[in-house]
Amino acid sequence: MELFDATGADRETATYDEPQARKGFFTDTTLCIGCKACEVACKEWNQLPSDGMTFTAQSYDNTGELNGTTWRHVAFVEELRNGKGGGDEQVLRAQAGRWLMESDVCKHCTHAACLDVCPTGSLIRTEFGTVVVQEDVCNGCGYCVPACPFGVIDKRQTDGHAGKCTLCYDRLTDGETPACAKACPTESIQFGDLDELRARADARLEKVRANAHFRDASLYLRGDDDGIGGGGAFFLLLDKPEVYGLPPDPVVTTRDLGAMWRVAGKAALALVGVTALAALGARK
Amino acid sequence: MTAQANGAASASYYGRPVVKPHVWTPMIPWYFWIGGMAGAASVQCVAARVRGEHDLAVVYKRAALAGAMTAPVLLIADLGVPARFMNMLRVFKPTSPMSVGSWILSAFGAAVTASTLAELLGWERTSRALEVVTASFGPGLTVYTAVLIADTATPVWHEAYDTLPFLFAASGVGGAGAIGSAFAPADQTAFARRLMIAGAFGVPIVGHLMEKRLGRFMAEPYRTGKAGSFRRVAEFLSLAGGAIGLLGGKNRTALRGAAVCVAASGVFERFAVSAAGTQSAKDPKYVVQPQRERVDEREPASVDT
Ligand code: SF4
Repeated sequence: MELFDATGADRETATYDEPQARKGFFTDTTLCIGCKACEVACKEWNQLPSDGMTFTAQSYDNTGELNGTTWRHVAFVEELRNGKGGGDEQVLRAQAGRWLMESDVCKHCTHAACLDVCPTGSLIRTEFGTVVVQEDVCNGCGYCVPACPFGVIDKRQTDGHAGKCTLCYDRLTDGETPACAKACPTESIQFGDLDELRARADARLEKVRANAHFRDASLYLRGDDDGIGGGGAFFLLLDKPEVYGLPPDPVVTTRDLGAMWRVAGKAALALVGVTALAALGARK
Repeated sequence: MTAQANGAASASYYGRPVVKPHVWTPMIPWYFWIGGMAGAASVQCVAARVRGEHDLAVVYKRAALAGAMTAPVLLIADLGVPARFMNMLRVFKPTSPMSVGSWILSAFGAAVTASTLAELLGWERTSRALEVVTASFGPGLTVYTAVLIADTATPVWHEAYDTLPFLFAASGVGGAGAIGSAFAPADQTAFARRLMIAGAFGVPIVGHLMEKRLGRFMAEPYRTGKAGSFRRVAEFLSLAGGAIGLLGGKNRTALRGAAVCVAASGVFERFAVSAAGTQSAKDPKYVVQPQRERVDEREPASVDT
């Protein structure tokens, strides 16, 4: 869409002094043990404040969600025999329950809504193909918050500006691995060149699917043809995305922006037309 | 192996939201109304000039100026880092309706301020020309806010992108008409009264059309909870204002009463839209269900048995 090109917000059209291969995360949820090392490593490296102590009573998940100060979030889907965690009781009884863990993160979308709608140019596409908030430019308008189709980015209470995963931009520029991937003890979080990660994920999916229990496994946001043009961060999931709190068919809202402005143009014309009619018709 | 968590129609992660609700303070719905009114007032100002009703035109011009002065205050107060408000004009980004809108508002504000200054200096022709310039940004100012909220992942905003601009336009026309009706000299109210009535009936009509196009499921957030209450108040005020305006004729008291109703109804309507957005973002089913249907339609084989 021509509007995308105008800002260089897209991976394909942006230009850099020192171009790099697109970097990303492949999060293989089958390997996640729910240790939250990624959450802690992220907080520690990025010096993010705690969100306070809350007990959600939702399995081991007391983090709850990604927000301006929490950039990795481990989801726990706990489904036990008694069906406490919800789910189809018959299936669960037969299986004696199951655990799904998934470490969620910003998807670093190919078509990123947060970046598109940002009015200040604070959100940028880096040379690594990642999406980063320039904290010293952001004025805290909050537009990116409802724009993200994954509910990732948020306005921080502490300093008023938006915050989210940077894929450890500072570490990348030094050739280092992002903190979460470095800390992950099971290689559930894998970092690298996106092309390579995708190839690795394809092989892994085939292997996982060979197991009859996991025939529903799928790669989420791997590829270029979904509603966000693919994620720089993508996932191997064992169940439907919504089970993990992910949208099953996310679409970048700006895809329809041209259509929206056309409607707005008609509404503006209607406004002028009604005013003109009233001006002609009304007696003095 | 489908986990239908908590027996809901669509699966979710402990019923937690998938997308984040907007984080705007009440300054923003207020701004939506004031900016919408000011934009429509600038157009009505030029129309009044054409009709030779100059006192009425001045009323509209003052309304546009007041709106243009108040708007930035509301917008800046809503920012997380207010000192950086000038960053709004750091770039011009066509992909960001807020960027486009900031420029429209700035141009509108500059034009109406310059026109008012020219008027005070007695430069009548310059002042009139600048009124036309102001009016050229007016419709944009009134409708861009609808694009702004539609351009999000908030289900009931995005899905309503084909009607929201008309809703905001109708409400803007009614709001400006109400100001004109309330403050114009007695012999120049006919035009403003018409527009006030048009807006008063236009808003509920467009609102119902919007609900119909959204369908029963997606319209729910507009009908229930806080949003539903706000809308019912807005609708009542709208119809009451419209009826009083129609039946009261040129009676000043009736006109002013109607104007208060119509203006207030516009404010409630904006707060309703804001609350509906929040409600639809907080309940994951409004995000998941339509997307799940799309996926299942595309690849029916993936439906579990
Ligand atoms: S997941 Fe959300 S915050 Fe991350 S790049 Fe995409 S739109 Fe932006």
